[in-house]
Amino acid sequence: MVAPVSRSFHVSRRGSLPVPNFRLEPEAAFTVRGLSKVYRTGAGEVHALRDVNLDIVAGEMLILLGPSGSGKSTLLNLLGGLDSASSGSACFRDFELVGASAAALTRFRRQSVGFVFQFYNLVPSLTARENVALITEISDRPMTPEEALDRVGLADRMDHFPSQLSGGQQQRVAVARAIAKRPQLLFCDEPTGSLDSESGILVLQAIAEVAKEVGATTMIVSHNVGIGAMGDRIVRFRDGRVVDVAVNPRKASAREMGW
Amino acid sequence: MVIVRVLERKLARDLWRMKWQVLAIALLMACGVSVAVMANSAHKALINAQMQFYSDTRFADVFVQAKRVPRSRVFALGQIDGVAMVDARLQEIGLLHLPGQIRPATARLISLPETPERYLNGIDLVQGRMAQAGPTNEVVALKTFLDAAGLRLGDRLSATLGGRVISLVIVGAALSPEFVYVPSPDSFLPDDAHQGVFWAARSTVERAAGSSGIVNLFAFRVVPGARVESLLSAIDGQLVGYGALPAYERKDQASHAFLQAELKELSTSALILPPIFLIVAMTLVHLMVTRLIEVEREQIGLLKAFGYSDRAAGWNYLRLAAAIGLVGVVLGGLLGCWLGAAIVGLYRDYFRFPQLSVQFDWTSFVVTAGFSLAAAVTGSLVAVSKAVRLSPAVAMQMPRPATYRAGLFDRLLPVAFVDQSTRMILRSLERFPGRATTALLGLSASLALLVGVQFLFDSLERVVDTTFYQTQRWSDAARFAEPRAPGAVVTLRRMPGVMSAEALRIASARFWSAGHQETVRIVGLEPGAKLHRPLDAKGRPMAVAGRGLVLSQALAQRLDVRPGDLIWTEILEGRGTKVALPVVGLATDYSGLSAYMARRNLNRLMGEGDVASGAELLIATDAKPAFYQAIAQIPQIIGASSRDDTVMLWRNIMERSFKTSIGFYLAFAGAIAFGVTYNLGRISLSERGRDLATLRVLGFSQSECAYILMGEMAVLCLAAVPLGLLSGYGLAQGLAAAYSRDEVRLPAVIGLPSYGWAVLLYGLAVLIAAVPVAVRLWKLDLVTVLKTRE
Repeated sequence: MVAPVSRSFHVSRRGSLPVPNFRLEPEAAFTVRGLSKVYRTGAGEVHALRDVNLDIVAGEMLILLGPSGSGKSTLLNLLGGLDSASSGSACFRDFELVGASAAALTRFRRQSVGFVFQFYNLVPSLTARENVALITEISDRPMTPEEALDRVGLADRMDHFPSQLSGGQQQRVAVARAIAKRPQLLFCDEPTGSLDSESGILVLQAIAEVAKEVGATTMIVSHNVGIGAMGDRIVRFRDGRVVDVAVNPRKASAREMGW
Repeated sequence: MVIVRVLERKLARDLWRMKWQVLAIALLMACGVSVAVMANSAHKALINAQMQFYSDTRFADVFVQAKRVPRSRVFALGQIDGVAMVDARLQEIGLLHLPGQIRPATARLISLPETPERYLNGIDLVQGRMAQAGPTNEVVALKTFLDAAGLRLGDRLSATLGGRVISLVIVGAALSPEFVYVPSPDSFLPDDAHQGVFWAARSTVERAAGSSGIVNLFAFRVVPGARVESLLSAIDGQLVGYGALPAYERKDQASHAFLQAELKELSTSALILPPIFLIVAMTLVHLMVTRLIEVEREQIGLLKAFGYSDRAAGWNYLRLAAAIGLVGVVLGGLLGCWLGAAIVGLYRDYFRFPQLSVQFDWTSFVVTAGFSLAAAVTGSLVAVSKAVRLSPAVAMQMPRPATYRAGLFDRLLPVAFVDQSTRMILRSLERFPGRATTALLGLSASLALLVGVQFLFDSLERVVDTTFYQTQRWSDAARFAEPRAPGAVVTLRRMPGVMSAEALRIASARFWSAGHQETVRIVGLEPGAKLHRPLDAKGRPMAVAGRGLVLSQALAQRLDVRPGDLIWTEILEGRGTKVALPVVGLATDYSGLSAYMARRNLNRLMGEGDVASGAELLIATDAKPAFYQAIAQIPQIIGASSRDDTVMLWRNIMERSFKTSIGFYLAFAGAIAFGVTYNLGRISLSERGRDLATLRVLGFSQSECAYILMGEMAVLCLAAVPLGLLSGYGLAQGLAAAYSRDEVRLPAVIGLPSYGWAVLLYGLAVLIAAVPVAVRLWKLDLVTVLKTRE
């Protein structure tokens, strides 16, 4: 099989199509080679990810699509430094994630990665502002919690506790929390999975805008094919393999997307 | 039927999954049950052994000692209204020279009853044979003495009795209800090796005493329902003029009184401690089941949606709680059985009963088991009833985030001072005040127990110091058979190695005041005595001079008198003077009930010349063997005490008895601290696990997460320290009051080292409990948190 990555670059270089966010010599944020993940269970081995090769360009927005168990979340976990690969290589700039120590991975997540989860994962005992401050307190050059919350449109909800916010608002707090440290990488795992369409659109809009503002390379995992329209590229998974990497010829805003 | 089996399987799996938490709680319940079972079993064993022994040996109801009473008076004593039987013996007291021992022992030779069917205070021959009359002076020795002094049947002993040195041959060993416990005359502690009690044929004792037709030791069996007060007076009346001390009841008999006090201590332990364990365990069950139900809210909704009744869904969790209680009860029963046997083993060395066998007190087991199960079920009742009230639809919905609001801490602590992690800790404490309070109380209870039970050591040390080093400053003491002129003391003073000697006159007296009456010994001291000085409340020596009495505070309290009051005094020796004496001061002491006055004044009141009943001495340590050898030749000396021996004896007893039981309690207290911390940690981790995994994903290190999780525990553990120390002091006061008896009043003192040890042990238990929680935190699954809702 031809490595999907070469195919995608092939497409972009050949392209008669505009590639708005790409520089001519794109800087690679992530270089993934032969990445595999095998879980050993009582019933035998489960190949969650098989021989994935991918170059991720700094500042691009990648949408990872595929059915349940296809490997998209596994890739996100491996690239986010949450899990260790069974084989292969995943290099963020000069940092090799595969085989890195737990402490090094913690440092990597702390300095470089912002996460948005499907179920928001806010700390219920902290207000919106404090949930963001939780991260800004341990970051090197963060924006203020107020600024982050302002960017996701929650300036008037800063002192509300999670229990006083709607699902969409909670997820936007989570987005503010993720981008407040000005991360180089923003990983969103099913960020709209628990939301209605209206709230989902607001959240995606927030993600797209703030990611662009802070210049974060963004990966969004989703079941929702429609979300693909907002990415620079769409990576499709099946049975633990990347089956297609396609450049999105016309990047749509969240508002324009079909849900 | 299938439904029941499935739920039962779930119950078994839940229990297995939470096995360590279940075990930690069950252990607390086990502690409660086992203390009760241990104490009650030991109590039962002692009571049964005591009753059996008393009944087999016909232990008397009333006792009296006199100097010389003609045997012909015995009939008149038997005629007193209320007396069912009288037993009269002859007792001769002297010194016993033991091979290999520096200090002579006291020899108490008592005549055996002559009529096998009419006697009281019989002896139980456990070895050898009964002593026969004859020139060889056969005696049966008290088994306790025989063992402690390292003697054997057939040994020949030399004793100074009735002013003559005679030899005794041991032909048998026996146990006696009068001497289950044998206190030494100078302290309330048993000094088995120096308290020789022997029984011999009457002719043998008469020969030793140098008199015949005389008796001086009386025991009475009282007709049931008889008025004991008037009977005692009647006996005293009959014996006027025969040098008799006042008659006393069984409850005042030294051995019996000590036994009763020991039994009371056991009952106290059985009453005070188990409730502490059960209450802590109950609250832990409540917290654990509440959390379990929160986690399984959706499952409860599901069960109900499938058609399970509220009762079936709730019953499942109540059974879980009951199962925890059951594990605790079974463990507690086994532990109590083992501890009960261990305690009875200890008592076997301490109290000599022919049949002291281990018993299992089913009543206390059933009662505490019932309480434990009820505590477990009650602890979970609130959570279960709340859960089953939820409609299935609500229960299965994704729960809203827990409701928090800015509270007291936010108002007190400005934003800039508190980071978000600390804020999480403080808000959690504020949101669950019940849980925080419960944990705080549990932890304080543990620390209180650690402090409280250690007080016994400090308290007894204080008693030893005050009694044997501050008040009594003599190293050795000698008692005369009869009061002697001070010249005898001067003779002692001149003996080798004796640095100082002070005369002492001791006489029994009865005090009356405001309807209270007490019989005690008046100690007549030399003016300006250096070797024996009553101390005031501030520890300063008090002058004993003039006509007045210095009373120990305890005695003054019983008689309800203050300095300046007059107190009616009857000297029970000599001519039986009755006089009103002023109380001139109150002395602080911790053992016995004492009264002091100037010796010469006591002599004057008794109508006797300048005499002393003994001397208190300060002897150079290396000169003691020569001194004791010398006094062994003086027939007028019938007793000798050594402070060092008494203190050593004291420490040995502490070593043997208190350390074991205190060891149990310390272990139990540690179990509480462990159980509370471990469960709190596990519950906290279960609640916070998802938050903490999220924070780990967001870049928090393990130690930063540990701070959030352990911070709450640490705050509670630290907050419990002052509370625990204070309650420990309170507990010590309670225990001091509960364990104090006439022989020794325990002051509620706790030394700094004890507080230090308590905090150290507490900290250790807490740390040990935190380890498994920390290990779980270290192994948090970061991937799952991305995909799961709580």
